[in-house]
Amino acid sequence: MRRLIATVFRKEMKDHLRDRRSVLSALAGPLIGPFIFMAMFTLMASWFREGKPLEVSVIGREHAPSLMAFLQRHGATLTETPKDYEALIEAGKLDAVLIIPPDYGKDFSAGHTAVVQLVVDNSRNQARATIRRLTSLLEGYSGQLAAQRLFARGVSPELAAAVRVDEVDLATPERMAANVLNIIPIFLVFAAFMGGMNVAIDAMAGERERGSLEPLLLNPVPRGAVVVGKWLTTVVLASVAIGVCLGAFLLAVHRVPLQDLGVKARFDIAAVLGMLATVVPLAFFASAGQMLVSTYARSFKEAQTYIQLLLLLPMLPGMLLAVSPIQSQLWMYVIPVFGQQLLIGEVMRGQAVGAMPFLLGALGCAAAAALCLMLTTRLLGEERIIFGRA
Amino acid sequence: MIEVRNLHKRFGAVTAVEDVSFSAADGVVTGLLGPNGAGKTTTLRMLYTLVKPDRGTARIDGLDVAEHPLDVRRAIGVLPDARGLYPRLTAREHARYAGELHGLSGPSLDKRVDELIELLDMKDIANRRAEGFSQGERMKVALARALVHGPRNVLLDEPTNGLDVMSTRAVRTLIRRLKEQGHCILFSSHVMQEVAALCDRIVVVARGRVVAEGTPDELRIRTGKESLEEAFVAVIGTDQGLMQ
Repeated sequence: MRRLIATVFRKEMKDHLRDRRSVLSALAGPLIGPFIFMAMFTLMASWFREGKPLEVSVIGREHAPSLMAFLQRHGATLTETPKDYEALIEAGKLDAVLIIPPDYGKDFSAGHTAVVQLVVDNSRNQARATIRRLTSLLEGYSGQLAAQRLFARGVSPELAAAVRVDEVDLATPERMAANVLNIIPIFLVFAAFMGGMNVAIDAMAGERERGSLEPLLLNPVPRGAVVVGKWLTTVVLASVAIGVCLGAFLLAVHRVPLQDLGVKARFDIAAVLGMLATVVPLAFFASAGQMLVSTYARSFKEAQTYIQLLLLLPMLPGMLLAVSPIQSQLWMYVIPVFGQQLLIGEVMRGQAVGAMPFLLGALGCAAAAALCLMLTTRLLGEERIIFGRA
Repeated sequence: MIEVRNLHKRFGAVTAVEDVSFSAADGVVTGLLGPNGAGKTTTLRMLYTLVKPDRGTARIDGLDVAEHPLDVRRAIGVLPDARGLYPRLTAREHARYAGELHGLSGPSLDKRVDELIELLDMKDIANRRAEGFSQGERMKVALARALVHGPRNVLLDEPTNGLDVMSTRAVRTLIRRLKEQGHCILFSSHVMQEVAALCDRIVVVARGRVVAEGTPDELRIRTGKESLEEAFVAVIGTDQGLMQ
């Protein structure tokens, strides 16, 4: 039995590796994720990068000399405002414009609330950092003056501030990073499904379409050996795709200016091993599931349609996790795909989860894979599958 | 040696094979002749263990096909209805793969594959990938794959279907040589000339039943017809689908 499995495996490997286009697409597919990741983070980092001098466009600078001095003291560069500033803000070319009305000075001296206007476009993420910094500067100026006025009247400024809000940010840099990095589990799972897809299709639906399944089953080989040999080929190629994907993510994470975003991801050897221990068992199940679906299909095209639909299902929990992280329970790790996505997230967050979730995840996948392989073997005994051709 | 007793097979409401019995001896070419849809392919499929009979038994070298499918598959070489090849494997690799699945390996497999390449006159295609092979070349590869383990019993389903004259002659030569070596050969055809040219014994099948059996001469005498062609038409009741 073992020798027959090895024979089928060797033949499938040789056959598939000669299919250049399929091998290339299986290897290029997993690179899409790291590429998107790299582009996204580079872009975000350029928006959020701190230390960039704050440029403030001001209209009516002459009406508020002390405010201007305050802003300059705090590192802001004051610039001239072009006439068409509203259009420029809408186009994203200008972050914000501060307008000081002519009666600012009059109100200020009279002790009324003096109004300044901040013209912004809040739908632009890019401008958000500038707006936040400018707003806090303005509030700081206002608070400082208020405190001075109260002192001048012999009142403690504390009386005017009944409640002070101190923000305690529980999100450690690692946690925040993991939220953003949740894109990685999605693409690793994607790689587990993509890598072996073409082999699974070719090995079952392809055999049926070519009319080579009947001659194959004529050999004195138990059907289980045929199925396992083909499955192993699929698993190997899926694992290679996972390796490529993970390697590319590693490169990307080390190149992307993550620290500029104030996030730190755990991507050391232990984390990489943890991810492999999570996703490789998933390849067992993904390959077996694809073999089963592919056996039902009478042609390559038909199988491709089914399997691509199937590919969307495991993407769903990943998307969900990326948007709203949930509190994981132990039983969740048993669910193939979902459990793996949870687990990768936790590995990246640097949480010590122990061996149990890994074990449960692998067991869940192994059980699902065994079920799919058994069903596939049974299907191969059915006359409509052996002889039914497109 | 093939013995078939009262085989039945239904697919849903359609009865494909209804009480088929015959035997095929070693060193004899037995032809299964009948129009399209007569049940020839289904009968062969039951013999090569991929279809389970509803009733009846079939034995190959004394082994029951339903009880010992793996042993039966070792004892037979089959050219099935489906002759698909792997486009990225060479002719030689096809034969080797089948040989390995039969448990052959090493020098004995190499020697056997070389013999077949010689026998089937396929030296020029031996190391070429199957993609783009002609019908005749594909047939040779399928035959090499079927015969690589040196089976005593050879089952061929419409072996000359779709072949040109030269390839047909090559297949006929092969069948005669296998017969000389004492193999039991059973082949199906809907082409009367084909069967008449090759067979020692003919089993005529129509509508899932055996309607006549015997040597060509016996068939002529039994029906009182001058030519084989008329004899066939007489036993089948119609000449539809029988002529090339």
